[in-house]
Amino acid sequence: MEIERRMLKATWGYDGNLEPLYEVEDKEDEILVTFDLPRVRKENVEINTTEDSVEVIAKMSDAVCWERWGGIQKRITFQAFRKQIRLPEKIEPEKAAASFKNGILRITLPKIRRKVFIPIE
Amino acid sequence: MEMEEVVRIVEEEGIEHKNPIVIAGLPDVGLVGTIAASYIVDKMGYKEIGYVESDLFPPVMVIHEGKLKYPFGIYGNGSVIVLLSEVVVPPNAIYPLTRALTAWIKEIGAKLVIPITGLPVENRVDISKPEVFAVGNSEAAVKELREKQMELLEEGFIAGTYAIMLRECGKRDLNAISLLAQCFPVYPDPGAAASAIESLELFLKLGIDVGELLEKGEEIKLKARDLMRQINLSAPEMQKGVEQDMPIMYR
Repeated sequence: MEIERRMLKATWGYDGNLEPLYEVEDKEDEILVTFDLPRVRKENVEINTTEDSVEVIAKMSDAVCWERWGGIQKRITFQAFRKQIRLPEKIEPEKAAASFKNGILRITLPKIRRKVFIPIE
Repeated sequence: MEMEEVVRIVEEEGIEHKNPIVIAGLPDVGLVGTIAASYIVDKMGYKEIGYVESDLFPPVMVIHEGKLKYPFGIYGNGSVIVLLSEVVVPPNAIYPLTRALTAWIKEIGAKLVIPITGLPVENRVDISKPEVFAVGNSEAAVKELREKQMELLEEGFIAGTYAIMLRECGKRDLNAISLLAQCFPVYPDPGAAASAIESLELFLKLGIDVGELLEKGEEIKLKARDLMRQINLSAPEMQKGVEQDMPIMYR
């Protein structure tokens, strides 16, 4: 799925958004999602979660301008990172927590899970 | 100069090698080797003196300043050689590539081979200055590391191109020392590359100031996104996960 997506889609858009590098890790009771967001300050990060997705929009402190590159061959400017990820399991959005340090955004998303204690006979 | 049919190492004519030290910066975890090698080439003003091509590499060429170039370049002068690739080496190319490279390195009379790479650590975000560990491929190499008071990687597995480079160098009686800087597991890490370059000074006095590398870290991370993504996709096939495993013969 990931390979197929990579072949079909570039990691940047004409809308001025770059797709950030990210990682989704299953940590038993929670899902940990991290994003690499260079040139971004904490106050410019917006996170939105639902039960099965997380979206990050992060404005860069300086826009990135690339020229004479790839199929563009003219100036293109990127102002933000934007990515929506579909989560592998349902989570509790109200209990999500996030931290931002040295350009790395960590979002902890507790899974919806009803635990039942089973006594051993 | 043709070394092997599968992998061809093509060198400009007239290069006079003076027992060089060979630095290998191939794409791997944290892109530590690639970022470090690229910075060294830039700061030292090394010219491209050759390239590596193979039918096993992806059908990709690079265009820089309007010129068509091979993505796997050889840079340097008589005393230092830098191997630098801008594309991921496919797993099925690792063995023929390392065999061809070490045969060529032996032929040019190199005295030491230093593959630079990363050592992924989960808490990298909390580490302000990554530590550098080393692996030597011979008793002489390990002795040198101890003399220089380098932190040795004492137990564990190593996987990827650099691991096989160490092995192939050993087969040809070439001393090789791999420098592994603590790095982010899946993100480009200019800070780790800076630490690796500083450790390199113990073996090769290049006098490189890593200040600019650290200053431009965020810019480098942006440019390295796509190559890092390719590395992350190929990591399972490279058996990179085994580096986190405990060897059964652990003592």
